[in-house]
Amino acid sequence: MNPDFFSLKVSEIRPEIKGKATSVTFDLPASLAKTLGWQAGQHVTLRFHLNEKEQRRSYSISNPPGAPLRITVKRVAGGLVSNHIGDHLKPGDTVDVMPPFGQFSLTPDPLKRRTHYFFGAGSGITPLFAMINAVLKEEPHSVAHLIYGNADGENIIFGEELDNLARDHAARFTLRHVLSAPSLWRWSSPWRKGRVDADAIKAAVMETPPVAQDVQYWICGPGAMNTEVNNALMALDVPANRIHAESFGGAAAPASSVTGIAANAKVDLGGATYEVPVAADQTLLNAILSAGLTPPFSCQSGVCGACKARLTNGRVHMHARMALEDSDVARGDILSCQSVATSDELSISFDK
Amino acid sequence: MTRMYHHLPVDAYTSQDWFDREQRLIFSRTWRYAGLAEDVPEPGHFVSVQAGLNNIFIVMGRDHRLRAFHNICRHRGTQLIRAVGKTQKALTCPYHDWTYDLEGNLISVPDEAKEYPNGVDKSCLGLKPASVDIWRGMLFVHPDPNPPSLAEWLGAVDPLLGPHKPEELVEYPDARRSYEIKANWKIVVENYIDVYHLSHLHSNTLHMYDHARAEYGWKGPHYHFWEPPAPDYATNLEKNLPTPRVIPEPHIGAWVPMLFPGIGLGAGEDSWNIFIITPLGPDLTRVENRTKLANASGWEFQKQEWSSWSFWKDFGGPKYPDSDATGEDDPMASGDFTAEDIYACEQQQKSLTSPFFEVGPAANGESPVVRHQQAILDFLETQEAGT
Ligand code: FES
Ligand code: FES
Ligand SMILES: [Fe+2]
Repeated sequence: MNPDFFSLKVSEIRPEIKGKATSVTFDLPASLAKTLGWQAGQHVTLRFHLNEKEQRRSYSISNPPGAPLRITVKRVAGGLVSNHIGDHLKPGDTVDVMPPFGQFSLTPDPLKRRTHYFFGAGSGITPLFAMINAVLKEEPHSVAHLIYGNADGENIIFGEELDNLARDHAARFTLRHVLSAPSLWRWSSPWRKGRVDADAIKAAVMETPPVAQDVQYWICGPGAMNTEVNNALMALDVPANRIHAESFGGAAAPASSVTGIAANAKVDLGGATYEVPVAADQTLLNAILSAGLTPPFSCQSGVCGACKARLTNGRVHMHARMALEDSDVARGDILSCQSVATSDELSISFDK
Repeated sequence: MTRMYHHLPVDAYTSQDWFDREQRLIFSRTWRYAGLAEDVPEPGHFVSVQAGLNNIFIVMGRDHRLRAFHNICRHRGTQLIRAVGKTQKALTCPYHDWTYDLEGNLISVPDEAKEYPNGVDKSCLGLKPASVDIWRGMLFVHPDPNPPSLAEWLGAVDPLLGPHKPEELVEYPDARRSYEIKANWKIVVENYIDVYHLSHLHSNTLHMYDHARAEYGWKGPHYHFWEPPAPDYATNLEKNLPTPRVIPEPHIGAWVPMLFPGIGLGAGEDSWNIFIITPLGPDLTRVENRTKLANASGWEFQKQEWSSWSFWKDFGGPKYPDSDATGEDDPMASGDFTAEDIYACEQQQKSLTSPFFEVGPAANGESPVVRHQQAILDFLETQEAGT
């Protein structure tokens, strides 16, 4: 099935961040308002004919429903379509547009009372900007917090619009800039230097903890940032169903259930050392038990910590690690009931 | 013939049947006050609250989000509320050590292989979730995991409750009280919302406010009330306030709403108070009071005390002069409006069991009393239709 394209007229072209990105607004005839309606966060696919070839690209819609249909496109170095849009597209041109779609969407509800945390970087702001506007406009009992990473103050897409939102909705919207390379003389004080990482997330949540307890987390940035934010949230016990993510350049599925590999483990236990074979789908604890040894254990759920051992060589993956502090993990402690091997040689000790 | 007290049978105030029905259909089906937000200040902290027939606990996760669960172990029902683990990442039942994570998932059954040779499906044995939210600095719980939001429940009355931001105020611990009144909970509510009694029972205790100019009404089952300061208090109001302001000028007056069911607030220019009514039996009710004041320095409190001293030094006193009082601790000679209210409630309750009790006509200022009875009837009716 080949979904239909609709020919839309460009009504406005606006350069953002000194031409490094471009906002394109389309005229949406009333007759198409329904077919081309969207939810905040969704994207559209555009079709161009460039270099004698059909080119398709998807771009997030950077306006909430009710506002004009607008996309915001950052130039990719050497990118055919993004530079075409930046250099040649002009008001009055027509572009083929497919109906909006996408799972990464926020539907505001005036009767919901939610706390939305938004984590974005670079042009990942485009769907988040639509979402934030939708919440501030259509969800009056909810609040929004944006943590937004960029290289420096010159490269903040929608910088001014966001400042205005923060000023006009001081009680319902907070804005935090994280800059990795702030130029000191232009930008005096971003909220933090560095990246949108685990520490930034913790700090933001501590500073503005949720008041409305229906909490939702929205992430949009490059794949690596998404993974990092997702992991940081999971480490804080945020349930997966409250985390919504999209990485630009396609949705990257986070690695879920890791399976191990077969390995040989040297196990120090009760003053002696044993050689224990570990099967790919076996936890270290099970392997050691199958070898007829009697290591300490109890809950087998990663809760009690009884099966704790020290990894002195090799690598493992832990399915759960509730019983361990970060400092334990840093020291090399593992829960043998939760660990599968990820290197084929291992040494662990129950005696340390 | 059923003896009536306006819209409700007198029975509604005295019988175990009515009490049970209200526990089941009102107090187990609504958002209940569960404390102040600061009662659960950090990850791992928890509180539990009896909300009608439900005991619900609230715990803060490491993401600073609150979770609420029914405080019932899925094994044999033991109340759980005991966190274990170094950082309290899990909740273990004291009885057989079944352990749940902070999302309520059952994560550990001790000796599982031996005790349950055919296995247990842990995924169906998670704690039953309830709901929790924070509103005006207060914790609220609801037994249903997907209840109407607080925006839906209180949204319409919210703008009429005063410009206070309780989350920015500081609790005054000395004012925290919990006491029992020997009267039905509705008698206590009716006393709270009776506008007629203000100038009479409290003729000598609450006259810094102008009851004649009170504005009050209803948004659904929730009652709202506001009255301005009386003229001699209002002249030099800033000087006369006993403690520093908690709301910005030019806001003045007292906001004294009663949210359904039995959640009273009392907020003025310089303080914010809660008055939580919990039925304990057909003729026994608990009231819990907490007070918040400005987040100001001791010096600012001292200055305000000095400046207001001349107003308060001769203000108020006993309703009955010494000669009429029955003894040293006669509430009518206490000069304390709470003591006056408790006394009135208990004296009224005593008569409800008399075969000779017959209610007199309701005054204008008692229209909230009658309206509250209707709110009870309406709520019961919707709930009964829904079950
Ligand atoms: S046996 Fe309890 S954490 Fe591994
Ligand atoms: S009743 Fe809770 S573990 Fe048995
Ligand atoms: Fe009173």
